[in-house]
Amino acid sequence: MRRETVLIIGFGLAYAAFAALVTHSYYQLILTVVPIWAVMGLAWNLLSGYSGFVSFGHAAFFGLGAYFVALAQIGWNLSPWLGIPAAGVVGALAGLIVGIPTFRLRGHYFALAMLAYPLALMYVFEWLGYQELTLPMRRDAALQFMQFEDHRIYTWLAAGLMVLAMLLTGRVERSRFGLSLIAIKEDEAAAEAAGVRTLHWKLLAITLSGAMAGVAGGLYAVVLLVVTPPAVFGMLVSAQALIVAMFGGAATVWGPVLGALVLVPLSEFLHAQLADKIPGIQGVVYGLAIIAVILLAPEGVVWKWRAYRRKRARAAPAPAAASPVSPAAAAQRASGPERPVIFEARQLSKSFGGLKAVRDVTLQVRQGEILGIIGPNGAGKTTLFNLLNGFLRPDGGEVVLDGRSIAGSAPDRVCAAGIGRTFQVARPFRRMSMLDNVMIGAFLHEPSAAAARAVALDALAQVGLAEHAQRLADGLTNKQLRLLEIARALAGKPRILLLDETMAGLTGAEVEELITLIRALAASGLTIVIIEHTMQAMVRLVDRFVVLDDGAVLAEGEPARITQDPAVIDAYLGRKWRMANA
Amino acid sequence: MMQTARAKAGLGRALLGAALALFAHTVLAQSKTVEVGLIAPMSGPWARQGQVMKTAADLAIATINAQGGIKSMGGAKLKLVVFDAGESVEKAKNAAQRMVAESPNLVAATGAYLSSFTLAVTEVTERAALPVVTFSYSDLITERGFKYVFQTSATGDQQAEGSLPALMEMATQASGKRPKTVGIVMDNTAASVAFVKPIKDHQLSKLGLELVVDEVFTPPLANATPLIQRVRSKRPDILLLLPTAISDAKLLLEKMNEFGLGRGRLPTISNGAAILDPDLRNNMNVAQLEGVMSVVANWPTASQKGFVEEVRQKTKEPWPTQHFVTTYGDMWIFKAALEAAGKADRAAVAKALRSMNLTDGAAQFFPGGSVKFDAAGRREAAGLLIVQWQKGVPVTVYPGKDAVAQPIWPR
Repeated sequence: MRRETVLIIGFGLAYAAFAALVTHSYYQLILTVVPIWAVMGLAWNLLSGYSGFVSFGHAAFFGLGAYFVALAQIGWNLSPWLGIPAAGVVGALAGLIVGIPTFRLRGHYFALAMLAYPLALMYVFEWLGYQELTLPMRRDAALQFMQFEDHRIYTWLAAGLMVLAMLLTGRVERSRFGLSLIAIKEDEAAAEAAGVRTLHWKLLAITLSGAMAGVAGGLYAVVLLVVTPPAVFGMLVSAQALIVAMFGGAATVWGPVLGALVLVPLSEFLHAQLADKIPGIQGVVYGLAIIAVILLAPEGVVWKWRAYRRKRARAAPAPAAASPVSPAAAAQRASGPERPVIFEARQLSKSFGGLKAVRDVTLQVRQGEILGIIGPNGAGKTTLFNLLNGFLRPDGGEVVLDGRSIAGSAPDRVCAAGIGRTFQVARPFRRMSMLDNVMIGAFLHEPSAAAARAVALDALAQVGLAEHAQRLADGLTNKQLRLLEIARALAGKPRILLLDETMAGLTGAEVEELITLIRALAASGLTIVIIEHTMQAMVRLVDRFVVLDDGAVLAEGEPARITQDPAVIDAYLGRKWRMANA
Repeated sequence: MMQTARAKAGLGRALLGAALALFAHTVLAQSKTVEVGLIAPMSGPWARQGQVMKTAADLAIATINAQGGIKSMGGAKLKLVVFDAGESVEKAKNAAQRMVAESPNLVAATGAYLSSFTLAVTEVTERAALPVVTFSYSDLITERGFKYVFQTSATGDQQAEGSLPALMEMATQASGKRPKTVGIVMDNTAASVAFVKPIKDHQLSKLGLELVVDEVFTPPLANATPLIQRVRSKRPDILLLLPTAISDAKLLLEKMNEFGLGRGRLPTISNGAAILDPDLRNNMNVAQLEGVMSVVANWPTASQKGFVEEVRQKTKEPWPTQHFVTTYGDMWIFKAALEAAGKADRAAVAKALRSMNLTDGAAQFFPGGSVKFDAAGRREAAGLLIVQWQKGVPVTVYPGKDAVAQPIWPR
């Protein structure tokens, strides 16, 4: 068993044992409510904590779960033992139904749209006449209907659910699923380019999250015995889920649990101690406590603690810079003009409003060649790449891979078809380790974490970053970032690699290193298309140039010929320069 | 041997004496004070109503204690223990759990303002066998087969069924002729919808009334002009005006005054105590409230001599509202139950409540003039009052035996 699994189960048992000692019925109730809110926090965390799609509407799933359990018992005499798992199914379905339209939105728009669901449901349930439901008292079949005389049993049930939710979260976190969600949070576009099926993972996350919230709501109904729309669909419910998770630390297994363990009893304690003396003061103190934590540990207690541990562990000096790629690998490649065309653009066009960024561009990429795309700033190079890898849908023309049109395919599909890319401005997943960054790419062909890890380590070794595998991507040098992006693309085992201004901002020596690396990659059979707006380094690297100017192809051919082409010189250096050197 | 036996006997006697002394001490301590609970929102959006309830309970207990406490218990004094039901069902239930866990000496409690709170609170108190008296309306409260809950108000269904017949009777008495047409202007909140449902379902046809205006709006109301214009053009004999938010009530009433329908010229009746709240005086011109009526479950009536004056003198409240009167009366119900029980014991108090049949004392604070609960725990005489704003104060105008003033009604 993993260490974390042992810790979680141990924690659950300790909690249950502690609860067994408490006989005071009020403290028992608090001990029951804490794990329920922990599960709710974990549910929120699974979607919003990991994927970064902040939900202000988790009350929708919670409330549906609660109402399902209550209505099923009232209407069909269904025992909560079956009702609560079924509430999970209801929550999951609701998550899926909410997710499909809502994931068209991003950022604040997503958060606000989520806010609408519980508010709407609140009115629907009022309109249906369910202002107040109570779970019928069943003294005749107490066990069957979860109406225990001994309230500790509720606590044990809630603690059991909490342990399950924690184990599930831990499992997700370590898997392809969890890493993909974090990659989405860090940079959704980069994740798509690395082959992550973002919508698929987001929908899975909201479905699982909805299920957890539904189960929490179902147990809440059984414990509270009364279900009203404001109590289960209210803003406070969504806020509570968010607050416990943010307080403890989003995107962690322990954060939401820690948040619930501290905040729920604190709020109750303040309420019980102060409310009769200064009514309302509990809210002020509670608010101040949250503000203090946000100021001191904005990412939550768990992250603060991790940062503290990392700081202490960082006594050992960081290893030396990346070792250069062995020159042996950069062997000469067999060259020949008659290699087959594997990838081409046919009369590709794209306009942004009145600006024609790309106009009727036709180009061929031949197997195993290094094709350089050059052009002055604003020539449409990056737009062309975005059309080639699916970020943009062309207004006209085709992108053809192996004779098949792929224009309009989503970036992750293009990536899966064998086209990897890097970005002009490096887009690493900053909060992830280098290894995890590259694993995201590796998952494309290796669904299991272990296999993806091996592939990722290989890719890191290929670019000379193997010894930094565990370092966070945040705080890397420019060169390391470029190499990391190449490694991430390589891990997806592409046939064609699109490099977008990979050499921008590097020193002369670093450029040399990179040229060696790219040559080596090409020698290993990879086809490379590289964008650059400076020509010097490119002349020594590429087999062939395509020159873009003002969105259209200006010239095409061998480096030697292109550098002499008057039209190219005009575009690059202006007519005067050619006249002066004529 | 003898000595040992005597020593043992001595020890036994000493222990017995100590036990007796302890017992006597306990009994004496118990006879000194008897704890009763108030569980209501003391914080959050309903804190103001909770404070009103507390003020009422404090005043009643001060009076009871000044008059000699519980006489059957040697003049034991009542002591109020307050629990904050907060702003959510969860908080209310927590408070109830705290109440039963930390105050084992409580003999009874009243609360918890909102029906949903009361439902959750009584789930806890029922299991602890603590009797709770409530004025919450929800029919569910006394439909669950609980043994320890007592509902003093007419239930939601009773109110919805009873309001229009009561109004018709009052109108006929006041004006000498039966109204023939009725208008409804309401928001679409649950309370208003539930109130109007039986009226539209069967009462209009049963009472021979024609519905000439039927307008529903979604709060908050932005502009009352089109609604009131329709009322003016159809000119019903009576208007049911059912806003829930104070701001909507203000907008509608001001527009009615502007159109010459205010100040009793068009008999206008609402539902619930919100439109009779003292706070309304701070928000709008009191003159424009003149004549506005509302159907409520409780209000000061003619049977309470000097009560309104006493409240005005001893508290900061300008007049006792529904929650005030009821909570005040609840304390007198507790007193009567304790007098009958003769001991500070939940079971005995619950028994006394079940067999209670009062027509004086506590009974004067509840419409119908008697306190007797049926098997479900509902007060048998529970009925409705119609209260009308007259000269800046809401006064009871119906039914006749409870009325403190004649209704203003255009003839």
